[in-house]
Amino acid sequence: MIKLYRSLVALFVVAATALPAYAANYTLWVNGRTGGGQIGNYNSFTYWGPATTAAGVNKKAVNWDGRSNISSQNYLIRDALDCFCTGTNWCYIAAHSAGDLMMGYTLANYGGSTRYKKNASPNAAGQCGNSDGSTQVGWNIKWVNVASGAGGGSELSDVGSWTTSEPLVKDLKTTTARALYNHNSTRNVWFYMFAGASGTLYSGILPGQDDEAVAYHSTGGVSGSGGQGLCNPSDWFCNDLNMGTAANEGGSTKWSYHSVKFRDNNESYNHYANGNWGGIISVVRADTVTNAQ
Amino acid sequence: MLAGLAWWLDGDGPTAMQAATAKGAAATAAPTPTGWPALGQARSPAMSPEERATQLAVWTERLERAKHTLASYRDGTRYPFESRPISEHADQTYPNRPVAEDSALRTEDGQTDPTINVKTAQSRVFMAAGESVVFTIAASDRSGQPVAFTVTQARALGLPSPGRGGQLPQQAVVFGDAGTQGDARAGDGVQSALLAPAQGPFAQYDGAIRVEVKLKLAGREGLHGFDVYYSPEQPAVWAGPVREVVERGSLYLYMPVQVSTPGRYLVSGRLDDASGKPLALLSFNDVLPAGLQQIKLTVFGKLLRDLKPSFPLTLRDVDGYLLKENTHPDRALLPRLMGTVHVSKAYSLNGFSADEWTSEERDRYLAEYGRDVDLAQGQVDQLTGP
Repeated sequence: MIKLYRSLVALFVVAATALPAYAANYTLWVNGRTGGGQIGNYNSFTYWGPATTAAGVNKKAVNWDGRSNISSQNYLIRDALDCFCTGTNWCYIAAHSAGDLMMGYTLANYGGSTRYKKNASPNAAGQCGNSDGSTQVGWNIKWVNVASGAGGGSELSDVGSWTTSEPLVKDLKTTTARALYNHNSTRNVWFYMFAGASGTLYSGILPGQDDEAVAYHSTGGVSGSGGQGLCNPSDWFCNDLNMGTAANEGGSTKWSYHSVKFRDNNESYNHYANGNWGGIISVVRADTVTNAQ
Repeated sequence: MLAGLAWWLDGDGPTAMQAATAKGAAATAAPTPTGWPALGQARSPAMSPEERATQLAVWTERLERAKHTLASYRDGTRYPFESRPISEHADQTYPNRPVAEDSALRTEDGQTDPTINVKTAQSRVFMAAGESVVFTIAASDRSGQPVAFTVTQARALGLPSPGRGGQLPQQAVVFGDAGTQGDARAGDGVQSALLAPAQGPFAQYDGAIRVEVKLKLAGREGLHGFDVYYSPEQPAVWAGPVREVVERGSLYLYMPVQVSTPGRYLVSGRLDDASGKPLALLSFNDVLPAGLQQIKLTVFGKLLRDLKPSFPLTLRDVDGYLLKENTHPDRALLPRLMGTVHVSKAYSLNGFSADEWTSEERDRYLAEYGRDVDLAQGQVDQLTGP
């Protein structure tokens, strides 16, 4: 009997070592302005809240400094996508605020580039080794959940409410953010937009509904010029931001592959994580926990 | 893994999934394998009716998203990413139209005055070497009536960027409504200014330029800032006429380009049908070496078959840039080709392929998205079954 067990053990070990690395899904969280997480450490969730909080299968924090230009820090996002979203591995992405601009920029400019398949074992700099030396076109991304996306910029950047010495603030100017890349080019990956509306402090600057940092024209993934005032249906004096991919009241349309998944009809969610996955991030986190498995 | 192995040997023959879970528990750094947690939950024989209802709601939502993702990807990738219907890129249709914005008057203290509306426009945001840019400003009251204003100060400033030291260039900018210097019509209340960086202190400047404008109107003062990005670098130049070829069931437009700076180039062109109706956005995104190269723009066969355009087709408004990785500014533009660039020959639609686009990337995505649908459907079936 012991001999049989030993044979079985040997057989199992041989079989296990001969198997290729199994496929895994990952959930990547891409921060926005201010940053805070340790760059290269995918377990550093400082920007978001406690790392113990559920946030999708195999969650990883893709940290960048949140103050440099999008283009300067973009390699950090590409490193993470290479690590976890190539080969047999697939990713769900959650992005907040300027993280939306970062992800859109990545897919529009590099979404069809040739990538080495990586082993999902990052070094201290957040870079992974090649798995087998083979390559693939683009990354393996299932969808992108966006909390108060700033892909269309923010008027707070336009008026100087944020310090102009910060390079990212220049990228967030509405005209610049909208011209930075072709927002429709997502490689046909869906951006699900979650738009908060509890803002009051900057209601004179941010047109329509806002979450105290970004207005609906951006958080709803609305194409065209900045400055469009879009609101909840309860506001009779302002065009509605419509759900899904539907054109908005007044005729403005959304970027392709952008769909409004959540509109803050009760004006309950602001822009900020508040150190505990708060604000509009809480809504995205709940959706991500449900769908990113 | 050893813990899992011991448990497997001592047990009653667990499933492969259970073995995988034990493996994951033993090595905390190991990622959760695809699909495992849900299967375990759904198969639990001890699930209460409430738990079952909760699980069913979760899996129904996942199934809905998975189905939508699969269907939209399959439909959207009938054509390759570099040959798309223009309807998918509505805001890219006329890239040389001014970028216009509309806002309340902004005041020096960072606030706004909602009684005055300011319309601004700039002819472009990113500028090629030697290009100029036109800025316009108009003001109106709440009822939409024009409000007269004066520009009390306007100047262009080089904006600081990391690693750039020394004095940044600046120059005065003149706004006027005299029908000159970029102003389209004299006396219409719209004030305009023209900035030509190559002809002043910005000639060798590579980066962001902010044009700060101070306004005085109806007893109030306001301001506006325009940002543009200029580079004197010309990374490549167009090097001859477009050559068109029908190959493998599609129409290809080859644009020769002399590349002096190798790297990743992104180029976009718009295609109109014979009546001038916008048809498609054609794009190129690839790495080019130095020397004489070809920018290949694809008019995909099935796209033509589906959209049924009238020939000849017109390629117009081609723009592009060298994308610089991990730095800012991140681009140097090719000379912009405005208006008609090439007019195609006339073709019969039957000469083009009606086949959908195929690629390893598309197959990979469809397979994965299909697995997601199957997995979610299986869970819903189990949870709703007897």
